[in-house]
Amino acid sequence: MEGMVRLSFYLFAAASIAVAAAWVCYMVYAVGFIRLRRTALATSTGMTVTGSSTEHVPGPMSAARFGSLFGWFAAVFAGLSVLTRAIASHRGPYSNMYEFSLAFVFVLTLAYMLFERFYNVRQLGAIVMTIALGMCLYLWSLPPRMREVDALNPALQNRPLMTLHVSAAIVAYATFAVSFAAAILFLIQLRKNVSWLPSAEMLDDIGFRAVTIGFPMLALVLILGSIWAHQAWGAYWSWDPKETAALFTWLVYGVYLHTRSLRGWRGQRSAIILLIGFVAVGFTYYGNYFFGGMHAYGGVN
Amino acid sequence: MAQATLEKRGFRNSPLETIVDRIWRFFCSVRAAVVEIAILAVLVLIGTLRGSSVPRWIADAIPATEGIVDRWYGWDVFHSMPFMLILAILTIAITVCTLNRAPGIWRTINEPTISTTRGFIRNADVSANATIAQPVESSLDAFTTSLKKKRYRVLSEEHGDAVHVYADKNRWAKLATFPFHLALILILIGGIVGARYGFKENEFIIPEGSVRDVGHGTGLSVKLDQFSDSWREDGTAASYRSDLVLYENGEEVKRDSITVNNPMSYGTTTFYQTSYGQAAQMRITDLDGNVLYEDATELGIYRSSTNPDAPAGIITLPQSNLRLNVIAPDEDRANAPMLDTLNLESGQMYVQIRGTGPDAGAEMQDAVLVQGVPQEINGIVVEFQRETRFTLLQVASNPGIPIFWAASFLLVGGLFATFYFPHRRIRAILDRSGEPGVTQIALAPLAKRDWSGQKDFRGVVEDLQRRLQTDFVVNERASTYLERPAKPASNSA
Repeated sequence: MEGMVRLSFYLFAAASIAVAAAWVCYMVYAVGFIRLRRTALATSTGMTVTGSSTEHVPGPMSAARFGSLFGWFAAVFAGLSVLTRAIASHRGPYSNMYEFSLAFVFVLTLAYMLFERFYNVRQLGAIVMTIALGMCLYLWSLPPRMREVDALNPALQNRPLMTLHVSAAIVAYATFAVSFAAAILFLIQLRKNVSWLPSAEMLDDIGFRAVTIGFPMLALVLILGSIWAHQAWGAYWSWDPKETAALFTWLVYGVYLHTRSLRGWRGQRSAIILLIGFVAVGFTYYGNYFFGGMHAYGGVN
Repeated sequence: MAQATLEKRGFRNSPLETIVDRIWRFFCSVRAAVVEIAILAVLVLIGTLRGSSVPRWIADAIPATEGIVDRWYGWDVFHSMPFMLILAILTIAITVCTLNRAPGIWRTINEPTISTTRGFIRNADVSANATIAQPVESSLDAFTTSLKKKRYRVLSEEHGDAVHVYADKNRWAKLATFPFHLALILILIGGIVGARYGFKENEFIIPEGSVRDVGHGTGLSVKLDQFSDSWREDGTAASYRSDLVLYENGEEVKRDSITVNNPMSYGTTTFYQTSYGQAAQMRITDLDGNVLYEDATELGIYRSSTNPDAPAGIITLPQSNLRLNVIAPDEDRANAPMLDTLNLESGQMYVQIRGTGPDAGAEMQDAVLVQGVPQEINGIVVEFQRETRFTLLQVASNPGIPIFWAASFLLVGGLFATFYFPHRRIRAILDRSGEPGVTQIALAPLAKRDWSGQKDFRGVVEDLQRRLQTDFVVNERASTYLERPAKPASNSA
């Protein structure tokens, strides 16, 4: 089993490299280049006047294709890393922040690649892969002993519910990350109207579609968590900080969904709420570091 | 010559009607709902941070906020009046809004408006038109067949030389908003029912071999037959288990073992494993041998005031006006000799006897008991029989649980139906005003700023092109998000 854990770690290392490579490619593609253009003008007196100007041009399509290739590599390596760890631990590997974040990198890259395929846009990768890269760096910063597979403490010994509850959370957070990326590009489009970025309508739709996955998933997280809490703690709702943080996040996205039907709100304001929503996701995600309560065993030590 | 004058007819409401109308409109307003949900979210955030170290960080960074932070930690947001008030307002808003929207949604499903205008099609974000070399009747048949293949319901009606068509799919999913919003109310009702008609004992302690009454009118009592725990090599807990026997009005009705994630239920009452601890089996008699107390006393619920590492328990003997403080050996041997002044060995218990009632304050004796050796102290005989353990359970009865589960099902089901079966609508005009035997068709979706809806529409148009063997011209407006707001048109003669 030790070998499986080591293999999982090597696969994670490969996924990290793929994420970094994808990030570079997507950034080149989305940000583009500043091209220096020299012009020479012959005047009627026979003199030649030279001048230079700059123009912002889109990045090469080949960079986007390589970005996608590395993105798929990242998703596959991270997925295999999660799988080998699941085999080693005989459960969904979600018992501490290392395992949870590893699974998050996998679902985030996979979710993004699926959105990219469905919408045929690659510019979002610049933002999503930034988040994925940040998560990889966070994983590398965790103490090496967290890479070991530990047995579950009695409170966590409910493998089906833990796997479902945490899986739903990971899917929700990953799709919210995609909606966050779409909101950023949407706001850039509103202000700059960059010709090579996707249309504002499409970005608005990507943000919304991502939330239509994340919002019911977060509802499932709350419900599955309630079922588990009912079995383990004797109360389906205990106003535990992690519970209420997830509820807060859910309410922020609830506000977003309502604003989409409001004239004057759909568009810019809705996109800003998506940004706030993702800050709430980060708050809930890393809450174990500063929350007390019954989720304190969430494995940050 | 008679002169006709037109004047606006005034429908003047009574003040009461005006107030009711305003309140009704307030609760129906999506804008108000956004504000209400946002206020709820802010309160939830304040309550969440109260359970974290964030306010403390703020106070450490800005000492001037110390007072506010103290009040913040002291404010039980989730049971406060503002929180209850916003929940009440949201509940009313959901109810009123549902009642207000229901007729309109029902009409959209059952009796939609079929007729449309050319202006609607012209101004749509995306539209399509074509000339079909067929009469209107056969064009309509082909159009209808094509849409029905894509699961659209197609309704049409004649308007002069034109046939207006309304097509939609997933219309029943529009109803999904009701179970979703109903679920939110049911969750609150479930919480109220649980709080009103249920009970919860957070510290239900049973020493091994003892029986404890559940109370709360259940007629139930529980005996802990045995407590067992297992540990891993690294010193972490693998599991702890309580073997329980349940009695109802003295009759055994159930026997089960519970662990942390596997509670035992009987009727609406459920027993949850929470924790465990050390206990001492004690026997106390008077000098004539009459038994005053024979049970296990849980240790560790109390701590000795001079040594917090020494688990302690209390036995009260109301018939003798006595209270016995039973103190076990210090768990940490490194505390000796500073904290562990008693320096008890395993198999010993320290007992302090104190008077209660009229005897309170009387000087009484303390003693060190040795396991299995009865000892006379202050007119009673106390025996520490053996060390044992107790289990700490939670006992809860929550009749709101079935309501909560039903609400959860409705909530998730409603969300999935709403998001994954969107109501798609298309309006079309089939015109016979051109050449005989030729149909002009123009169609557009009701999908303003809806990229997915427009994509779906383009799919419909492509399908129509294939079936009708006709080229359609698809008209698309530039990004409506990037349009500058139009200046108001000036009135001109």
